[in-house]
Parts: sequence; C-alpha cells; structure tokens
Amino acid sequence: MAQTNGGHNAFAMAQAQFDRMAEQMELDAGARALLREAQREYSFSIPVRMDDGSSQVFRGFRVQHNDARGPSKGGIRFHPMETLDTVRALAMWMTWKCAVVDLPLGGGKGGVVCDPHHLSLREQEQICRGWVRQIARNMGPLQDVPAPDVMTSPQHMLWMLDEFEAIHGAKLPGFITGKPVGMGGSLGRKEATGYGVVYTIRETLKELGILTEATRASVQGFGNVAQHAIELYQQLGGTVVCVSSWNQEDQRGYAFRKMDGIDLQELLGITNRFGGIDKAKAEAAGYDVLPGEAWLEQDVDILLPAALENQINAETVGKIPPRVKVIAEGANGPTTPEADAVLHKRGVFVIPDLLANAGGVTCSYFEQVQNNANYYWLRDEVLEKLDLKMTQAFMGVSQVATDQKLYMRDATYLIAVDRVARACRDRGWV
Amino acid sequence: MGEAKLNRDDLTAEPSQSLDEVLKGLQDRAKELFCLYQVGEVLRARDMALDAKLQRILEVLPPGFRHTEICEVRLGFGGHTFETPGFVDTPWALNEPIQLQGEEVGFLQVVYVEERPPEDEGPFLRQERKLLSAVAEQIGLRLSSDIEGSWEVMDKDLQLPGRRRGRKWKVILDFLQRADAQLAQRISRRMLNHLRWKGVAELEGLPGCQRSMVLETAFGDENQPLTLQEEDELPIPTETIFRIAANHCEEEEIIGLIQAWTNRDRLSFLINTLEWGDSSLGDITEALRRFQVLGMREDELPFSVVKVLRAALVRRFFSEEIDYINITKELVTLEDFYDLSRHLVHTPNSHGKLGGKSAGVFLARKIVERMQRDNEVLEGIRFPRTWYVASDGVISFIRHNNLEDVYDRKYMEIDQVRQQYPYVVQVFKSATFPPELLNGLTRALEDLGDRPLIVRSSSLLEDRTGAAFSGKYKSLFLANLGTKTERLSALLDAVAEVYASIFSPDPIEYRKERNLLDFHEEMGIMIQEVVGTRVGKYFLPAFSGVAFSNNEFRWSPRIRREDGLVRMVLGLGTRAVDRVGDDYPVLLAPGQPGLRANTTTDEVLRYSPKMMDLINLETRSFETIPVADFLEECGNELPQVRKIVSVVEEDRITRPGALGLDFSKQDAVVTFEGLLADTPFLAQMSTILNVLRESMGTPVDIEFAADGNALHLLQCRSQSFIEGSAPSPIPRDIPRNRILFTANRYVSDGRVPDVTHVVYVDPEEYSQLGTLEELKEVGRAVSRLNKLLPKREFILMGPGRWGSRGDIRLGVSVTYSDINNTSLLVEIAYRKGSYVPDLSFGTHFFQDLVEAQIHYLPLYPGDDGSILNEAFFRDSANLLPELLPEFAHLSHVVRVVDVPRVAEGQVLRVLLNADLEEAVGLLAEPGPALEVGSAPRARHGRLVAAEPLPEDHWQWRFRMAERLASRLDPERFGVKAMWVFGGTKNGTAGPGSDIDLLVHFAGTEEQRKDLLLWLEGWSISLAEMNYIRTGYRADGLVDARLLSDRDIKNRTGYSVKIASVTDPAHPLPLGTALPSS
Repeated sequence: MAQTNGGHNAFAMAQAQFDRMAEQMELDAGARALLREAQREYSFSIPVRMDDGSSQVFRGFRVQHNDARGPSKGGIRFHPMETLDTVRALAMWMTWKCAVVDLPLGGGKGGVVCDPHHLSLREQEQICRGWVRQIARNMGPLQDVPAPDVMTSPQHMLWMLDEFEAIHGAKLPGFITGKPVGMGGSLGRKEATGYGVVYTIRETLKELGILTEATRASVQGFGNVAQHAIELYQQLGGTVVCVSSWNQEDQRGYAFRKMDGIDLQELLGITNRFGGIDKAKAEAAGYDVLPGEAWLEQDVDILLPAALENQINAETVGKIPPRVKVIAEGANGPTTPEADAVLHKRGVFVIPDLLANAGGVTCSYFEQVQNNANYYWLRDEVLEKLDLKMTQAFMGVSQVATDQKLYMRDATYLIAVDRVARACRDRGWV
Repeated sequence: MGEAKLNRDDLTAEPSQSLDEVLKGLQDRAKELFCLYQVGEVLRARDMALDAKLQRILEVLPPGFRHTEICEVRLGFGGHTFETPGFVDTPWALNEPIQLQGEEVGFLQVVYVEERPPEDEGPFLRQERKLLSAVAEQIGLRLSSDIEGSWEVMDKDLQLPGRRRGRKWKVILDFLQRADAQLAQRISRRMLNHLRWKGVAELEGLPGCQRSMVLETAFGDENQPLTLQEEDELPIPTETIFRIAANHCEEEEIIGLIQAWTNRDRLSFLINTLEWGDSSLGDITEALRRFQVLGMREDELPFSVVKVLRAALVRRFFSEEIDYINITKELVTLEDFYDLSRHLVHTPNSHGKLGGKSAGVFLARKIVERMQRDNEVLEGIRFPRTWYVASDGVISFIRHNNLEDVYDRKYMEIDQVRQQYPYVVQVFKSATFPPELLNGLTRALEDLGDRPLIVRSSSLLEDRTGAAFSGKYKSLFLANLGTKTERLSALLDAVAEVYASIFSPDPIEYRKERNLLDFHEEMGIMIQEVVGTRVGKYFLPAFSGVAFSNNEFRWSPRIRREDGLVRMVLGLGTRAVDRVGDDYPVLLAPGQPGLRANTTTDEVLRYSPKMMDLINLETRSFETIPVADFLEECGNELPQVRKIVSVVEEDRITRPGALGLDFSKQDAVVTFEGLLADTPFLAQMSTILNVLRESMGTPVDIEFAADGNALHLLQCRSQSFIEGSAPSPIPRDIPRNRILFTANRYVSDGRVPDVTHVVYVDPEEYSQLGTLEELKEVGRAVSRLNKLLPKREFILMGPGRWGSRGDIRLGVSVTYSDINNTSLLVEIAYRKGSYVPDLSFGTHFFQDLVEAQIHYLPLYPGDDGSILNEAFFRDSANLLPELLPEFAHLSHVVRVVDVPRVAEGQVLRVLLNADLEEAVGLLAEPGPALEVGSAPRARHGRLVAAEPLPEDHWQWRFRMAERLASRLDPERFGVKAMWVFGGTKNGTAGPGSDIDLLVHFAGTEEQRKDLLLWLEGWSISLAEMNYIRTGYRADGLVDARLLSDRDIKNRTGYSVKIASVTDPAHPLPLGTALPSS
C-alpha cells in the first residue's frame, strides 16, 4: 500500500486516507492538524569514509509521527530512492498499527538514502553507526525504538545498538528490536505474525458462531507467515485444502489442492526456503496442481492472502465462491478498494491487515519489554501473551464495528485514530 | 632415466614366462640397472683422473652381466687400452664403439671366457647389448664434459708456484688436441675469426689473412653475392693462432672464449634438431634428453644461443604465434622442457604441438613460478600434474582406423553434421589407438596413479582464437578407478570422445561463421589430475572457479572494469565455467572485495550455489547433486568447510561458531565468507590476475581449484572479448541530427551495427499508467515483439530497471526469455527530483544479459552533454498497432519504430567504448560495419575471431539482382513480378551468401521449365563471378522461389515476405533492359 515508490506521493495518500477517517469520526480540528503531520522530523548528513579512502555523505531520516501513547516504534530502511515523504507515510501507518493492538507505543520510521548493493559491509557499518551518532540524543528505549526494515538486518541493528550503548555508557538492549536471540532478541518472533492472524480468525469464527473444526481454508503464499498460520489453524481443527506458492523457474504461481486437507509437514518437506513448493513432488504426493489464481476460487470458508499486495481486486473478487465468509489479511494491502467495496456488500467478514498481521509488531514490543526488564520469557510465554494481546485487540475492534455498524476495516482505522487522538487530548496537547 | 624405461617395456613385453623365469629376468634387469648407475656415478665423480675412471669402469661392468664370474672387459680410448686382469680374446664377445661428437674415439669390449648356452646374441642377452651401448654412450658423452671439467683441475695446477702466468690456455689447448682434434681445429678457426674481427695487425702477412680486406670490399656492394671463402684448411697452425691471441687478449678472455665455443659446439646437435623442420617431436625429445645427460646448464651457454634454443623449443612444442614465443622465451628455461618431454605422448614421427590450452597454462605456470620468488602471496600456488598428447595424435588415430571420411564432414550442411555426430562419436569410441599412443597413454596412467583425471581438449584453433573456442570442445572427467585395464579403457574412451568433438556441430558451425573451416585443426589433449580430495564417497576440490582480469559484469557502478571478477563454486569448477541458468556461482570483484553482488539475507540465500558438481567414486561418474544433500551427507569431512559455508540463523547469516557444525540440523549456505576474511585467497587471485595481465600484455581468464591445502591454477588464456565486443571507435564528427542518443556512464565495449527496429517504452507515459494490469501488459507486449521482430536486429529502450523483481513501476516487467532476441537493452534513468532511479546493476537479470551477449547501456538523459532524441522515438510512425492489434491500446506507451522506413533507408548503429566511457546511437548507412577503418584485431595482432566484414557483397548482389530482373522477359516466361529479399536486400550478405529472389509465376509448365533453366544459367554465371571476386565456391548463387497466384492471394509460403511489416521483400522492375518490341 503505502510502500510503493513510484510517481505518486505516498504521504499525500496517507494524509488523504486520514482526512477521510477524521471527517467520518468528526475529529476536532486541533487533533486533525496534529495527526495529519509528523510530530518531529529529523533529516541529517552521515559522512562516511569509504573503503577506497574517499568520503561520501549519506542522507538520513527519522520521523516520529506521534508518541502520545508511548515511545515511537518503527523500522529503519536502507533504500536508494528513499524520500522523506515515504518515511512520513510509513511512520503514520506505524502509529495506527501500534494503537490498534493497544500497545503503549507511538509510530516512527527512519531511513538512509543508500543502496547496500553498492556498499561493503564495513561501509554499511559506518552508515549505521553514523546514523546513531546523529540522533542518539533523540532516541532510546524511552523515546523512540527502531527495528529492521527494507534492506536492514539484525546485523545492522547490533551495530546500531553497539554505537548507542557506547555513546550512553550503558547496556540498553531496549534501544532497538529485531536482535538475534541471545543478543536480546525474543523467542516466538518467527511464529508471531502467522499465529497472530489465526488468533483473529479464531475470534472471528467464535463471533460468527462457526466451529473452527468445521471450516475449510485456502491460503495464498507459503512463506513464514502462511506456514505458521496453517500450523496453528490446523491445531485448532481447521482444514486447509489449498495453498498457492510462487514458482521461480516458471515465473508464475501454482495452487496446490488436496480436498481432504493438505499435510503441512509433507509440504514443508518439498518446499525450498523461499516458500516455493516443488511442483512435481507435490503432484506425486497427490496434490492437484492448479494455476496460482485458483487459490481464491476454492469452496472454502476462509481465505488467507499471505503473500502479495492487490491480489483481491476488481477482476478476481467475482471469482470468490459464495461459501467464503472470512478473509484474513495476512499480507499488507492484499485487497484493492474496488474489491473491498464488493466484499463489504456481500457481507464477507474481512479482518483488515492493520489488525490481522499486527502479531509482528506486538512481538517487537515484547522484545523491548523483556530487554527493559532484563528478564527473558520462554517461547510459550511469549505466544500466550501474544494470544491475549491479539484477542483483546480483535474484541476491541469488533465491538466498535458491531456498536457503530461499521465495516471491520473502517472500525480498525477508527479505533486506532481515536485512541491516539484521545491520548493527545488527555495530555492536553489539543 | 630413459634407460629404466627400456627395461620396463621389456618386462611387459614377455607375458608368458614361468614365475622363475620372470624372477630371474627381474634380477638380471636389476643388475643391469645397478651397473648403469655405477657407471654413471664413476663418470660423474669430480676428483678422479680420467685414467682412474676408465679403470674403475672395468670393475663395475661385469656384475651387470648374467655370467659375472666369467666376464672380462677391455676398454680402448685415446690410444690407451685398459683391461681386466683375466681378459683374453674369445669368440664370445660383445663390441661397442665409444663416440665423441659422432666420431669414433674408442671401444668397449666384453667377453665371456667360457662357453655358455646361446641367447639373443651369442651367449649374451638382448638387454646386455643395450646395457653395453648405454655405457659406451655415457662414456662418450661424459668425456666431452670432462674436457670442460678439466678447467677446474687445471686451475688448481696453475696456482702451483713456479708455473708461468699466462700459459693456462696452453694446457687447455693441449688437452683439447689430444681429446678431440677436430674440435680443437674448429675452435682455432673461431679464434682466428675473432682476432680478425678485433683487427689484430700481427695477422697481416700471414697466409690467408689478407681476407679481412676482401671481406670488407665484398660487403660493400650489397647486391653482389659474396665470394665463397674456403676454410677447409686452417691457414695457420693452431699454436700460432693462440700465440698471437695470447699477445692480444687477456688470459681470462681466451679461456672464456674456448669454453663458450666448446659448449656451443656440443650444442650443435640440439640446435640442428630444433631448427630442422623435418625433425619430429621424438627427435627433439631425444635431443633434449641427450642435452640433459651432457649435464649442461643453461646459464653456461651464450645468451644468444639460449634465446635461439628457447624460441625454437617454444615454437615446436607450443605455438607459432609470434607474441606467444616472444613472451614465453623470456620465461622458460631449457630445463623446463626436460620435464615437459617426459610427460608427452606422441607418435614417433609426430610434428604436432601441445595445443592452445596447454600453451596457456604452461606460460602461466612459468610466469607465476618466476613471481613466486619475490611475492609471498603467490607462494602457495600449485599446478596439477599433467600429461600431454601431441595434437597430431588425432590424425594418426584417424589413419590407424581408416576413418578418413570424417574430414569432409565439416563442409556438410550443419543439420547433416548434427545428425551424424552421434554416429561419429560411436565410431571413434570403438576405434583402436595406434600402438605408440597406447603405450604413451599407458605410461601416463601409470605415472598419474589412480587419482581422478580430467581429459581436456587443447586444439590448435583454441590457440589461434583464444577463449572464443572454449567450451566448444569436450572436457571429460574420469574417476580413474578399477583395474589397470578398466582405467586404461576409460581413459582411451575419453580421449576418443574428445577427438570426436572436432567433428561436432557446434565448433563446426562456429568455424563456418568465422571462415575458419579451412584451418587445419588438430586436437592436443591434456590429461590433468583432478585437484581435490576424497570426501565421503565423493572426490572434489573444496572450491574452484574462474577469474577474469576484466570485470564485464559490474553489479555496482563503484566497481571498475579492472577490478576483475571471480566466479566460484563448491566442488568442481564446471558450474562456474559454464552458464548454468538455474544456479548462481558466488561473484567477487578482487579489486573491491567489500562490494558483494548479494547484500540482503534474502539475496544471499536466493543467489547462492544450490547444486554442485563432483565425482562419485562409487558409481565412478561425474554427478551434480544438491549442495544441501552433500553437506548433510559428508559436509564435515570437506576441507575448510567452516571457511566455505555460513549458517542461517533466523534472518541472519553468520560464520559458523566454534561448536560442531551439524548439517542435519543447521541450515547452511555457501558464501566463502571465512575464506575471504581469514585467508589470502582474494589477494592471491588479484595478484595472479595482475601478474599474468602484465606479463602477457593482455587481460586473462583463469581457472582455479583448491584441495584444502593449496590453490591450483588449472588454465589460463587471454580473456577474449565477447563476440562483437571489442571497444568501438567513436567518430567525433557526427552531425547532431544523426545522433539518437549518447551515454557517458557505465559503458561497456561493443558495437551493434545494423539495428532496423527500436522498441521504445515511453518513460513518461509508462509512469502515468494507472493499474498494475496495464503495467504488466507492457511487459507482455514486449515479449510478443521479441518473437516477432528480426532477431538481434532490434533494440529495447525503456525506463528504469527492466525485469525487476521488486516494484513494477521501477521498470518494465519482463523475464529474460521475454527479451532474449534483442541485441541491446537501453535503460533510461530520468531524474525524479534529486533521485536517479536505480538501473539493472546487480540484478541477476543483468547477469542473464551478459551471459547471453546482449549489450546493455544505461542512459542518463539529465546528465550534461548527454543526448536523447525523444522526438524521433515519439513522433515516428508506430508499427505496434499493425504488428500486434491486440495491444493497439498501448500505442502511446510502446512504440515500435522501423528505422530504415522513417530514416530514408538508414539504420541505427550503436557504438560502445568502455575505455572512453562513451556510447553513441546514430543513424548510418547500412553495410560496412566499421565507422572508422580499423580491422578487428586485438592487441599484439593476435587474430580475434571477429564477425566477417560485410564489405560490399550485398551491393554487388543487389546490382546483379536488378540486372537479372531487367533482362527477364515477363511475356516469354509468364512472370508477373519479382522481388529480392534476405541478406541482399538487408545489406547483410556475406561473400558466400545466396541471392534470394521471389518470382510471381503464372505461366505454363513449358514456361516454367524455360524460366528455371534461364535462372540456372544466371545462377551458375553469377557463382563463377562471385568465386573470382571472393574465392567462395558455390554451385549457384541465385536462390529463386516461384510463387503461384494462389500463394500471393493467400499469403502462403514465402509470399508473406512481400508485404511483411518487419522485413519486406524489395520489388524488382522486370524487363527494363530488353529492346522494346
């Protein structure tokens, strides 16, 4: 959604979306003015001595969109076409995301205009450290907590943490999340997003009065999110009959179907690490191999898009069979506005991305909590707390949707903006 | 030693003896060998007088004979005779002359004093005769070196008090005269010449010495033949010459000269053998062996002689290429060739060479070995043990099996060649080897042991054209396991298959295209041991790969061309050498070690080697298996495994920790991270590349492999340019209106001569497209055009990063197969605000382009001085709706421009020059491809197989086609119309091309026959004219296709050409030259 870098201005779009919502909820002018812009924006130069001895200056950003509810939270992107507007849009998105799950965090985003493809690891380290040096006074566990994002990795986080701790003369692992386990990272992060999606599905089914054991689902994608979602959904008694995955050699997707339910372990055994399922082996194992688009034409109760943007669009929405009652957006922005309108009209229960895939950011929050307490939980403890958090978040949104007769997507956005606006008001800012 | 070889042959030659006999035979051979060694030792002894040596030989000789107890010896030399105490003349004697410089100077005689049962020669064995002659030869050779050895002895003598200084030369001369009077004469003559040259006045008046004046006048008139100067007899006695010399030269000078002349005299046999064109490789090897036995060292020879010898050896063994000889002769020593000749398999009369690959690796070895002395980094570099088969082995193989009919295969049509090739392979593999090759290969196999081997082609053409030919001939791996017979038969099989690959369609097609068919191709063979170790049931190197001096695949603009490129893999290097398509070797730029082609975790995982090649020792075959399977099975046994793999932990890739690596649990990926961080590997690579580039004067391309202990260099050749990718001269005076675009950043070398169509994706319109579907449609349209437009005669131009896996707005969504027929991909980077979009650098899509030899050029229209004539592409007629009606709605985005149509017959020509960092796309007349007259020759005049120059072949053909049509009477033959198409029309016809005609025929059967006859007459006449013009023979030159009314109406067959959008046939006016009736 807001991630495209093309000609259109991502921030202008995010603002327009906010304005629509503010209008709908009749937000007061003060809060509107405050929330449609970022609270603080930093733009700075990072001089780096390159491997060949020359100097190069990189442009760095950090945008703290709103921290009324707690320290800002958001990733750091390394991208050659990074712009302040992109960072602004993404920071706003983070504010809403944290608020939906009711995390005591605000929203932020940062980045550096650079392409790691043209930088050595040493040079990248220098950029990381330089970035922290520029902004060390304005970040920290109590102010603003970064995380990995586009083209940044746990390694980059560790360099940044190291520089931050050197400057402050203290061990402060809560400064940054996304660290490897053993270096302050949290267990359960791998499962978090996929499990989070299924927690919301479980609650949805409860609300719709459907037994999970009686449901069938079709999943798009077979990456980390999809794999863990299928795992938990099956544990809950549901049947996944179809899964689609991208085939690198053929440059197209295929859907793999088994009417009496796919065997997750069997499929994992014939899947490469990028989530690509071996077509021939799947066929041999008794799966129907269908065109990739077939995943949403299956006679199922639940669709789980967990791969790409814009998969449910004006063209494909008509192919969704009447049996489908729930769509859980594991991916970011899988549904286009046109398709969304159709689904709304058909009465399909859509669990919007902002809520459905919030398991990831929740786990980052847990990582930080463990860091600050310097006490680490077991995996099951993490997942238990995740369940609780997601369930509560779902119930909150669902309550609003029911009470105000709103579409789930609107309810989600509304609850997020409302929580943030209220925090600003309570603090006497507006 | 060579003698040992003789005995081994004998052993294998007598298989049907009893065990006792065999044992006895073995004992006898051992005795003989021991005897020979003793003789050698005696002769080499430094502080023993000649007499004592000869006396001692008498003692060591009898034990070498079967009946030692009754064996007596007599030796005559220089007028003296030595004999064992019990010597008497008996009928049971063996005699052998002792020769010095081919002259008999003594004899050696062995007798048995009692009768013994008859053997091969009286009571003597055949082997005993050989022993005696070997001893006699050694004595002869050694005595001449004793002459040299005596200098030292005499030096000592001369230091004794009481001796007059300045008489040293006298002692030497006396000795010489006694030992070899003729040599003394030759040396005296040289001394006389030397004195004349010095202009010694004392010579005046002596008989024969006025000649110095004659000589001068004779040289005065250069067109006058010199008068013969008779020098059979020395005019002055030796004594006199040297007395005069002593008056005019220093003692040291005289001795130095005598020494040098003696040495040179003894070398004459070697020089003669080398320079004499008729001498075979066998003769040369033998001469080298003799030279070695003489115990001479290269540094004792005069400089010029050394050069002559080296150059001749290089020429005979390796290459006639003058550059190669020039460079190599400075680096090799004669001693190097001893080793080489011991590992050479050839027929007795071979005049072959070792071939291109062998020449390359030999030179590289010499360069590296020389540099190793003062370059620590290079110390660990090794070269695998190698045997060579001379190139004409294949000729004798063919003759031995009467397979001569394969020779004409190369002139057949390529589909015929292709069809018959499997048959050729089978015939070759079931053929037998000539005995000399069989013996040689057996010897090679014994020497190489049972390590796995690779049999590589090393042909003469590979030498001529560099790497352009690489990979076209076979290289085969052998597990080399089993019984000796099994191993030998596998080796023979492999050699036969490599031989057969001369006649395989790919190289023949290539040679046909380059006009190299008439080259006399021969195939040398390199049998190399495979570098590696046994790991589990496999044999493989820890890692291997290829490296290039010039990096033609720069994934970052920060990498310079001269930073080089290394492609490496786990296991055998075959996957790094060849393009594998579905797998990715690890890429490194030694000059920029920090800049990796893959940066993010996802990229590293995605683009790391997934498969590996190795030799399975159990199945005895070459196999490709998944890296993951190998690691799980036996990864921990692989040498340096911790330096080769990294482990994947969550979303991080790290070096393996100190704890054990468990590949069944841990996810590992091949990165070579440890190798790069902790070992001098990259420094070695970059030093090797630099050293070789400097010494050879050209960028190089090497293959390497490491077995865990040392890095081995396997191959080296000059880095060939991609075909048509020599730097192109950029003319300076192009009128502005002929330029369509220019570029001045990240330009590679090359030239795209005749572009007829341009597919232009308008950057502005593309960015305005609203939906994803529309964006994808653009990609689909391009894909369709790719199949429709004339292959490699169109280019693609468009915004941003094509084939990007990321945001489609960054560039047109295509895969490699959607654009594989283009000749050039131009990516246009328009500035957006202060950001310039990222181009294809680093994407593996780009790697596909490079490997398919599709040129790539980024345009930065915002840059100062760069030109992009958008109006030309935007405003010219767009063929898209015509070509692909279903994509007509994209006409505003995708524009297809027929360049000749809108530019009055001109084509687009793109010239790229990396050295200047400049490229230009300009409108030009089709035809002669080179703008500035420079033949496609690379540095040092080495022949680069460049594309044949079209010259004016097409123009002549076009003119002839017009002439033919103007002479054709349409009434008489029932012809309605006529067209010319193909190369003649397009300006691409070569000297051997046909003239392709289409004839609309609507006459009677009678007229049809007449017409065909008439056309055939033209065809034959034109073929004859063409032969005279170009030397190309053909039965006919006109290829006319008759089209009926129905063809024309239904647009069937060739009639589609008539109104074809992309390549329409050109109509020819009929009968215009006929007398009007």
